[in-house]
Amino acid sequence: MKTFLIDNHVNGVLSALFISFTENIIPDTVEDRRVYQPKIGSVAIDVVTDLKSLERVKSALVRYAGDDVIALMRVCIKSCSPSALTVAFNYAHLILSERKDVSEMLSLKAVSDFSYTVQKVLHERHIMTGFLRFSESERGVLYAQYSPDNDITDLIAPHFLRRLGNTPFIIHDVKRNVICMSNGTSLKSMVTDLPPTFTPSEKEKVMNDLWKRYYNEINIKERKNLRQQNHFIPRRYRKFAFETWE
Amino acid sequence: MLDERRLAILSEAAKYDVSCSSSGSRRENKKGGIGNACFGGICHSFTQDGRCISLLKILMSNDCYYDCAYCNNRRSNPIPRATAEPEEICELVIDFYKRNYIEGLFLSSAVVKTPDYTMERLFDTVKLLRTKYRFNGYIHLKGIPSADRILIERAGFYVDRISFNIELPSEKSLKLLAPQKDKNAIIAPMKTLAHDKYYADPKSLTRRKDFLPAGQTTQMIIGASPESDAHILKLTEYMYHNYRLKRVYYSNYSPTNFSTSLLPYEQAPQIREHRLYQADWLLRFYGFTAEEITENDGFLSLELDPKCAWAIRHPELFPVEINTASPQMLLRVPGIGVKSAYRIMLARKTAKLDFGDLKRLRVVLKRAVHFITCKGKFIGSGKTSTIKGLLSAAEWNENARQLSVFDNNVYAATSALNGEL
Repeated sequence: MKTFLIDNHVNGVLSALFISFTENIIPDTVEDRRVYQPKIGSVAIDVVTDLKSLERVKSALVRYAGDDVIALMRVCIKSCSPSALTVAFNYAHLILSERKDVSEMLSLKAVSDFSYTVQKVLHERHIMTGFLRFSESERGVLYAQYSPDNDITDLIAPHFLRRLGNTPFIIHDVKRNVICMSNGTSLKSMVTDLPPTFTPSEKEKVMNDLWKRYYNEINIKERKNLRQQNHFIPRRYRKFAFETWE
Repeated sequence: MLDERRLAILSEAAKYDVSCSSSGSRRENKKGGIGNACFGGICHSFTQDGRCISLLKILMSNDCYYDCAYCNNRRSNPIPRATAEPEEICELVIDFYKRNYIEGLFLSSAVVKTPDYTMERLFDTVKLLRTKYRFNGYIHLKGIPSADRILIERAGFYVDRISFNIELPSEKSLKLLAPQKDKNAIIAPMKTLAHDKYYADPKSLTRRKDFLPAGQTTQMIIGASPESDAHILKLTEYMYHNYRLKRVYYSNYSPTNFSTSLLPYEQAPQIREHRLYQADWLLRFYGFTAEEITENDGFLSLELDPKCAWAIRHPELFPVEINTASPQMLLRVPGIGVKSAYRIMLARKTAKLDFGDLKRLRVVLKRAVHFITCKGKFIGSGKTSTIKGLLSAAEWNENARQLSVFDNNVYAATSALNGEL
């Protein structure tokens, strides 16, 4: 059993593809070298990210499967699934082997796995654009904490940049200690171990109370359906959706 | 700012407006503005009744001039009344929107003084929100029937969606339960908007982009009057074809504190509303007609979803071969939705599919297995009665839950445990 150890980035996958084709090695798994744990009988091959070679792979992928393929691979790698890197690798490997766009060949495992993983990440991205809750500071900066399953902070931030106009905001993924900041015109992401020091404005309490009141009033009590509520907003997402707290 | 008491009164009064959808518009943010619209809509929370909260759904006033028997806001009902000013609503929308609580505003109102006066106030609010507050998020406006046509048309340039409630499924019921309302007054603005040159003329695309980008919808109360599901679905179909509606919403009648022999004492089963929505989906996306969907008695089966019930009534059409069936026929297979049919169509271009492939495509086979073959292989049940039993049992299991002695209906729960039921 062969395992490619790469950087957890799309460039790592592209470098792995280059090694796979030039040295004729097809790995069973592709893993992030930072979290790799050796398995019995497994041979680990360390793949160094090489910018020159990965450009060749990238241009071949774009030539065969269109401009979106790299962006989709990037989305796939954001998945919390431990096999996300392998899934992205297998899909890209199939494109390069077949020398054509394989996105419609859903009966193939590599394609259906890739499509499913991408869909899961994009689905969470979509629902988090609704479930995120901002608080405002006295200086007008908006701050939101959340803890998504997948690493989607870079994916949701552009949505809020378009939406909030000139208002500066910070999105903080407390699970991964990733923050994304906007000054109203551009975005910047970083990893931080510092605890948040955000102080909400005095108006926040009033707005929270109004929102909770609204949430309670809009509910039709005689049609209680907790099962459906749990289905649409699972409990793990309610940590920051304070209106749902009982 | 709108205080908590008035917010509670005005949102409580708006809760029976079913629509909370924020889809259908691609409105973009402008320089110096706030907000945009997402074409697929975004849900921001879910209430305990399982409904999505996407928009701030609020009445401008619940001080109604009309006295409709089925409505909590009727003039003769001694409930607390409240009114909000346009500025107050705009401020609240911006504050909620910035915090990502909502996707936009759903503004409605009871008829205060006259329809024109009410519509003017609603119009002023949405205009203020778009111009002074530079809000580019989603706005759904509830139109007031009998209001001036020019006001309604002008509102169309500021809002994403407008809706006029048809209230009840027949003119007879409307006359009986809401004698002050007139069917023609409700239908007229819907017709106007459907045929308006800005809305309907395909040549004036530049203007149309700004005029009601998310179209118009309507809502009707079911269970308050005796109309059958067949009648309701035919009316729905007619409105989709003739008034270019995006959606028809159904609201199950909830008994109010007003007792009259004209209204039922009990709420109709919630499942009826659910079945009507399923049937509505079949009309819009699956190529069914209203006549096909309903049973002989004019009602939908409460036991089975409308597609399963239709398939069981037509054993001569099944099973269909998944590798050769037309897209239209695939859509008619119970358990296969639009997404699954699309995936099957794509996948079968490159390989013949078997049941394992369908699982990999994440097609739900629980229902479909009785109506399809893969490479000629059939693994479902051949008997109609068995299929019916299996499908209704599957549906029952989806809604089943463990009984609890702490249930509201504690007696029913404990009797069931003792085997007394």
